[in-house]
Amino acid sequence: MKYDENLYLTFLEKMYLIRRFENKVYELAERGLVFGSTHLEVGEEATAVGTLLNINKDDYLIATHRGHGQELLKGTSVRSMMAEMIGKEPGICGGRVGSMHITDASVNNLGAQGIIGASFPISVGVGLGLNLLDIKDKILISFFGDGATNQGNFYESLNMADVWKVPVFFVCVNNLYGMGTHYCKTCNVEIYKKASFFNIKSDAEDGNDVVAVYDKSKELIDYVRSTRSPALLELKTYRTIGHSAFDRHPYRTKEEIEQWKRLDPIKQIEDKILKGGASQDKIDSVKKHVDKIIEDAAGFALEASYPVYDSLTEQ
Amino acid sequence: MREITYSEALREAIRLAMLKDKNVIMIGEEIGQGYAGVFGVSKGLYDEFGPKRIIDTPIAENTIMGAAIGTSMLGMKPIVEVMFADFISVCFDGVLNQAAKVRFMTNEQYSLNLVVRLPGGEGSGTGPHHSQCLESLFMTIPGLKIANPSNAYDAKGLLTTAISANDPVLFFEHKRLYKTKGNVPEEEYAIPFGKGKVLREGADVTLVALSYMVTVAEQAAEELYQKFGIDTEVIDPRTLVPLDTDIIAASVKKTSRLAVLEETCLRGGIGSEIGSIICEGYMDYLDCPIKKIASRNVPIPMPASLKDEVIPGAGRVVKEIREMF
Repeated sequence: MKYDENLYLTFLEKMYLIRRFENKVYELAERGLVFGSTHLEVGEEATAVGTLLNINKDDYLIATHRGHGQELLKGTSVRSMMAEMIGKEPGICGGRVGSMHITDASVNNLGAQGIIGASFPISVGVGLGLNLLDIKDKILISFFGDGATNQGNFYESLNMADVWKVPVFFVCVNNLYGMGTHYCKTCNVEIYKKASFFNIKSDAEDGNDVVAVYDKSKELIDYVRSTRSPALLELKTYRTIGHSAFDRHPYRTKEEIEQWKRLDPIKQIEDKILKGGASQDKIDSVKKHVDKIIEDAAGFALEASYPVYDSLTEQ
Repeated sequence: MREITYSEALREAIRLAMLKDKNVIMIGEEIGQGYAGVFGVSKGLYDEFGPKRIIDTPIAENTIMGAAIGTSMLGMKPIVEVMFADFISVCFDGVLNQAAKVRFMTNEQYSLNLVVRLPGGEGSGTGPHHSQCLESLFMTIPGLKIANPSNAYDAKGLLTTAISANDPVLFFEHKRLYKTKGNVPEEEYAIPFGKGKVLREGADVTLVALSYMVTVAEQAAEELYQKFGIDTEVIDPRTLVPLDTDIIAASVKKTSRLAVLEETCLRGGIGSEIGSIICEGYMDYLDCPIKKIASRNVPIPMPASLKDEVIPGAGRVVKEIREMF
C-alpha cells in the first residue's frame, strides 16, 4: 500500500487506544479492582487494528478471551468496556462477566468464550446461518489463538467450514505461547497450513506490521465476501506482557521479550508516519486525544456502581 | 379424536412450526436423505422442506451444537436431533458452557431458541452407550429447560412450546414410546412448561414418574389397587425444569406418602431432588420416608436377564411401594 497519512494516523490512533486501554486495565488490576483474571494484548495491537479496519459495523465478530482490542475496534464504547473490566453495572454485559466475555449486540459482537476452541463450532454455525438466511452483505470475523488450534474442535470446524462454504474469516493471533507453553512444543505444523489441508484459502503475515496485516486481510476479506467461502489468516506476533495481568512470565527470557519490543507495532507505525513526512506534533496530538478517552472511561468506570443481585433472574 | 404415534406427534409439531415460521430448521445426523432419523421422526420432512431446512451433518456432534447455537444467535429456531441421548457427551461443552449461559453472559442481549431432541432410555438391548437416561445430569445447570413427554399428546404440545421457548430446551424422548399411540388433535397446540398432570387419582400414595416410567407407574398402580387395595395417585410433571412442585405437594398433602420413579440412576437423581423439596417444605405431611425407585447405580447392560434388574419395572415398583405401608 502507498503511504496514506490519514489511514496511517488511524492505525496509530487505534493501536494506541488498545495499548492505553490495556495498560489502564493492568493498573486497575494492580489496585485489586479486576476480579479473577484479565488477558491483555500489549504488543499484539496490529492484529486487531489491521484486520478490523476492513470489517463493516454490521459484520459479525467472535472475539477471544484476549480480545479487548478486537471488541474496541468493532465499536463498543470505551466507557462500557472499562466498566465491564471491573464488574460495574454500566458495563456492556451489566458488569456480570468481566474481561473475558465482552458481547455487544448493537455492533454484532457475538461474544468471546472462556473455553479454548469453543468458538469454532459456533463460528461455523453463524456462517451457516448467514447462508441459510441468504444474508449476502455480511460476514463473520472469528479470532482465535495459536493454542486453540490443537483442540479437536478446530479440525472438525475447518472441515465443516469447507463443506458448508461458510462466509467466515478466521484470524489466528499467534503470539507463540499458549499460557506458558511455546507453540513449537505442541505442534509441528504451521497453523495456516492446517487450513490449507481442508482446501481453505489461508496465509500468514507479520502480525506486528499493521500495514501488512491491513493489506493481507483486505485481500482475504474480499475473497470471503465475494466467494462466500472461508479463509484463514495467521498473524505472527507476541505479547510483551504476561499471559494474564498477574503473570510474571518465568517461561521466557528477558532477551526474547526485548527482541520483540524492538518490533513494537506502534513504534513501527510512528516511524513510518514520520518518514512519510508528518510531524511529531501530529502523532502527539493523536495520542493526547486517546489519553483523554481512556482517563474519561476509567473515571466513569470507577465512579459507577456494582450490580445488585436483583438484576439476575434465577433460571 | 384420531390416534397417532408419539413419533408422528413429534413430527407434526416440527412440521407445523416449520410451515408457520421459516426460521425453524432441523439439524442432525441422518435426519434427511438417509434414515430420516433413526427413529423416523423426520420422515418426509426433507422432501417437503429441502436441504436448507432439514440439515444433515457428518458424525460431528460439536458441529451440530455449534451450528445450532450460531444459527440461533442470528434469530433462527434450530431443532437439533442428537441421534441417541448418550451422544450428548460429545457436545457437552456446547450445552454446559455456551447454550445454557448465553442469556446470562450477554446480559440478555442474546437468548436462544434451541431445542435439543434426545432419544433416551433403554429400548431393545442397545447396551451402555445407547440406552441411558441422563436428565439428572442436566438439572443442575442453570439456563437449561428440560422436557420429558410421556405420551403422544404431550410430545406434540411440549415440542411446540420448546421450539419458541426463548431458552435452550433439552427435550428427552424415550425409545419405548416412539411407537405408542395416543389421541392427538390435528391442529397446533402448546402445553406450557412447569404444569404437571395427575394421570390417576388416588388416596394412599403419590407416585411421581416421567417419560416412559409413567407407563410403568400406571401398570404398577393398577396392580397395587387390584391385588393389594393400595390406591396410588400417579403424577407426571411433564417438565423437569421448570418443575411443578405445587402439583406434587398438593398430592402429598392428600396421601401423606411419596414415591418417585425414574429411569435415571438412583444416586443424585430426580428422586433425590423432588424428595428433598418435599422434605424441606412438607415434612409434617409425610407418614413414612420417601421412596426413590430408580435404575441401579450400574451402566445399562445388554441382556434382559441383567437390564431388567437394573431398570425399574412394574414388579419392583409394586414391591417397593408395598414396603411403605
